[in-house]
Amino acid sequence: MASDQTPKFSVSDFIAVLNQSLEYSFGTVEIEGEVASFKVNQGKWVFFDIKDATGSVNCFMSLFQLRVPVEDGMKVVVRAVPKITAWGKFSLTIQSIRPSGEGSLKKSFEMLKAKLDKEGLFSLDRKRPLPEIPAHIAVISSTSAAGYADFIKILNDRWGGLQVDVAHVQVQGETAPEQMMRAIAYFNQQEVLPEVLVIIRGGGSADDLAAFNDEPLVRAIAASRIPTIVGVGHEVDVSLADMVADVRAATPSNAAQLVVPDRKELTHTLGQLVRRILVRIDGMVNDYLKDTNAMLRQGWTVLDARVDLLQSQLVTSRQVMAAYDPKAVLSRGYGIVRGEVASGGMITIEQQERIITAEVKDVKTI
Amino acid sequence: MSKQSEQKSVSEKMNELSELVAWFEGDEFELEQALNTYSKAEKLAAEIEHDLTNLKNEITVLKEKFDA
Repeated sequence: MASDQTPKFSVSDFIAVLNQSLEYSFGTVEIEGEVASFKVNQGKWVFFDIKDATGSVNCFMSLFQLRVPVEDGMKVVVRAVPKITAWGKFSLTIQSIRPSGEGSLKKSFEMLKAKLDKEGLFSLDRKRPLPEIPAHIAVISSTSAAGYADFIKILNDRWGGLQVDVAHVQVQGETAPEQMMRAIAYFNQQEVLPEVLVIIRGGGSADDLAAFNDEPLVRAIAASRIPTIVGVGHEVDVSLADMVADVRAATPSNAAQLVVPDRKELTHTLGQLVRRILVRIDGMVNDYLKDTNAMLRQGWTVLDARVDLLQSQLVTSRQVMAAYDPKAVLSRGYGIVRGEVASGGMITIEQQERIITAEVKDVKTI
Repeated sequence: MSKQSEQKSVSEKMNELSELVAWFEGDEFELEQALNTYSKAEKLAAEIEHDLTNLKNEITVLKEKFDA
């Protein structure tokens, strides 16, 4: 039988007191377990149970808080507020949920990857090229991370004169995706947009890098007006943020190599350009010389031909002249008769070596 | 080095140099102008090299907080 000290409540007050006690006792808790009976109602509300070998608790959350794909059997860690509902049922109001353990992380990764791939977010057609020589870039990273230091070192070694705006954010843990999304939004809202958005973080465990598989973050990278390059972890680490970016860098150092050219290589290229000009000038001078020589040779050839022709004509003329030379006829034994060719007339006969004077005795016509 | 030239970015200077090289390799090339243009290209290349060696990156960590 209840004594006078026994507290009395209305049902609603009792539930409110219980909830208050739960809040004082626990506030927010993290619970690890396996998902069961997962379902989404009206496209807005998510219900599931989280259980282990001997216990099970109802869970409730809104769909927009679900940042990673979840399905039955997946091991997860939920961050939640324990509550008694108005109907007296104990439930966890989930604030966040993340896959736990390698198997669940991989499964969640594959599910989201398939979903985004189906939407075409990884399509090569969406990839934009980075500017060859940017003047202004934005970096989203933790400035205390080793990956950031590597990036800045390589960047400074390779290039100068660059304006680099850095947004310092968490790059692991529950708040990391939201912080990175705010930084992406910040840079995308600038009046003068940076030419490249670089998102980097060094290596870590799969759990450390899980922030880069967060669906809203991946979508924010895909929606960026500024071309993106993502370099997360080591070469073997692949995140959905990498896959959706315009350019994937294997590491933060590699991101620096892809964002700016190497000044040493460019200096070498400059030398080659100037040498190319000299080669071109040399080539042109040689071409002009060749053309001039060819024209001269052509002139000489024509001149030679003319001289040959004249010489040949001269020889012919000489031969003709020689044929008409009376001395040549005399040399063959003929003679030239001059004087009065009539009976009793006096004539002279000129031969090669003598001249004979004679009197004509008779003239007969043949 | 002219003031106007100093104000140009390395990228702009590189583009200008590429245009000069293209002139040398194009149909408009004239031997009479080549020496002048070559001097311009050589000077530009020297400027770019100077810029590349001496320019430092300006890194600014934003004061904006992204945690809330």
